[in-house]
Amino acid sequence: MSDLERELEQELHRVLDPITALPIPARRQPEARRAARALLGGAGAALTVKVLTGVAVAAAAVTVAGAATTGSLNPADWGQQVTQQVADCKAQLADGQHGIGACVSSFASQHGSAAASAARQHGNGNGNGNAHAKDKNKAHPATPKSGSVPRGLDSEPADQAATHRTVTSTSHP
Amino acid sequence: MESIELPAERERYEPGSEADFERLYRNTYRRILGTLITLVRDRATAEDCTQETYERAYRNWRGWRPDAPVEAWLHRIAINVAISDRRHQQLRSAGEMIRRLGRPAAGPDPSLIAENSDLVQALKKLPTKQAAALVLRHYHGYTNREIAAALNVPEQTVASRLGAARKQLQAVLGR
Repeated sequence: MSDLERELEQELHRVLDPITALPIPARRQPEARRAARALLGGAGAALTVKVLTGVAVAAAAVTVAGAATTGSLNPADWGQQVTQQVADCKAQLADGQHGIGACVSSFASQHGSAAASAARQHGNGNGNGNAHAKDKNKAHPATPKSGSVPRGLDSEPADQAATHRTVTSTSHP
Repeated sequence: MESIELPAERERYEPGSEADFERLYRNTYRRILGTLITLVRDRATAEDCTQETYERAYRNWRGWRPDAPVEAWLHRIAINVAISDRRHQQLRSAGEMIRRLGRPAAGPDPSLIAENSDLVQALKKLPTKQAAALVLRHYHGYTNREIAAALNVPEQTVASRLGAARKQLQAVLGR
């Protein structure tokens, strides 16, 4: 060991030993405040506000669209009516006929138009759920909620499994 | 120089364990503080950097591998904290000077011995990793392998870095 190295060791121990012999302070805990500050301050705050606003707007849009279609704020009503309409449309299909899209779409437009005006009157949304502009001039009767009961609900559902024949699709010209 | 078993290495620690981290803190605090005092400008900063070191270590405590030397791992974090501190030192120094104006002189404090030591002052003028290599070798008794782990450099680099650090220290001290 060179003189410099020896001197280095002695000097380091002379100056550092008294300091390192002092009592050990309590460990500084990671501050929860720091995280909160990051979230609520600066760019974090802007982002948080944007995210919360986005969530609120999305929730409101879903509620309004549902209310406009079903006339009810309860999303369960909306779901139930659509389910019933799908079953109804299926029952209406003639043998060998496929596709209920137009039938279900017609139901949605009809209800959207009726419920949107009701929602506007109550001031709870813009009522544009399923009431497309193209449907505005159609003379859809305002269908009350009870009117949405599927027509074939009381009757036995058609035994589609038994009556359906295999349909071979032919290409249209 | 023979490998010296460091106090912290004698104990076993469970990564992620809160109690073990507290024990690690108790076992290594003084040594980490001792290193940082030679790397940053004063004792208060060294204490702050030491706490910062443990905060960073705590954040990565779950990821620490028990086969890695724990004190070298802590020293690596501490040296990085010191490097960051040195980078910000110039920016802070102007504000500090203004705050210190009119403040009464500090009382007798062991840290003043360190702050007034020519050697410690000379170490602070060296590049952080060079100064750290000298302190780890000549104060903590680390081997080149342990210094390599602490500085995150190959072992061969440590020898050349120590040689360069000694030369530069002699030049700074005017010997």
